[in-house]
Amino acid sequence: MSNTALATTPRSDPTTRYISAWAEKTIEDLKSKNLQFFVLAKERATASIFDSMIKKHKPSLIFFNGHGGPDLVAGHDNEILIKANKNEIVLKGTVTYALSCSSAKVLGPAAVKVGAKAYIGYNEDFIFFISPEKISRPREDKTADIFLTPANHVIVSLAKGHTAGDATNAAHGYFLKSVQRLISSEASEDDREYMRYLIWDMKSLVCYGDNTATVAK
Amino acid sequence: MDTEKEIIDLVVARLQNLPSNKEISIGSSGEFTKDQLIEHVKKDDEVGKKMVAIEMDFLRSMKDGIFYEQYSTSNNAKV
Repeated sequence: MSNTALATTPRSDPTTRYISAWAEKTIEDLKSKNLQFFVLAKERATASIFDSMIKKHKPSLIFFNGHGGPDLVAGHDNEILIKANKNEIVLKGTVTYALSCSSAKVLGPAAVKVGAKAYIGYNEDFIFFISPEKISRPREDKTADIFLTPANHVIVSLAKGHTAGDATNAAHGYFLKSVQRLISSEASEDDREYMRYLIWDMKSLVCYGDNTATVAK
Repeated sequence: MDTEKEIIDLVVARLQNLPSNKEISIGSSGEFTKDQLIEHVKKDDEVGKKMVAIEMDFLRSMKDGIFYEQYSTSNNAKV
């Protein structure tokens, strides 16, 4: 098992700017001793660079951030990085987590079929709220934090050596904890309105393949 | 027909409670303010239908007592 991980963090619009900023924060905060992360940020999140990094480093973990569809995940400027029935074979032998919309629906099972150890992703749109005044400083956005911290917990858990199934469960637990926090008296009335979207994201998060697969020793 | 209208009215009423100073990101569909969301629901277009689906799912989840359950990966599939 290689001890490398490859992450894509495109920034083509507010949504990708947000998820990528939080993904990079998660990776920085991890300071993982078990995994060496390579990050393809902004305009480096292209198909050609992604392919060459896969060939060069043979990562055991792939962390996609970007727009997606049922059968694909995109990079910078929505360039398709992986598409089912085209090049999902590059995920063979890896555990993948895609923080992108709907890709677990078709691409997830397709990747596992050709040998991906596990594919963790969302089978519906990933939805979150932002504070427009924080758009240039996404990491400081406490509203986005409610959604993006639970979503990034998948990577935290995998990097600590937990299995793909446990990492997915841990993220579900984190989403649920956020929901329970919003029910409590500490939360504002405005924040309580986010509950249904957190539940939507939590229920959309699924793991295909081998639930016992790990990426870090 | 009446039921559909009732559902749309219900979702619009629920969306009215969203904070006005936030935006919602719905993947590649983009980012929307509360007022824009309500317009999409009234138009019953793709974004509007998504909002209705989320609301209906939430109501079902509440009925099932999701707040108090340990959610698990039971919906996982092995392929």
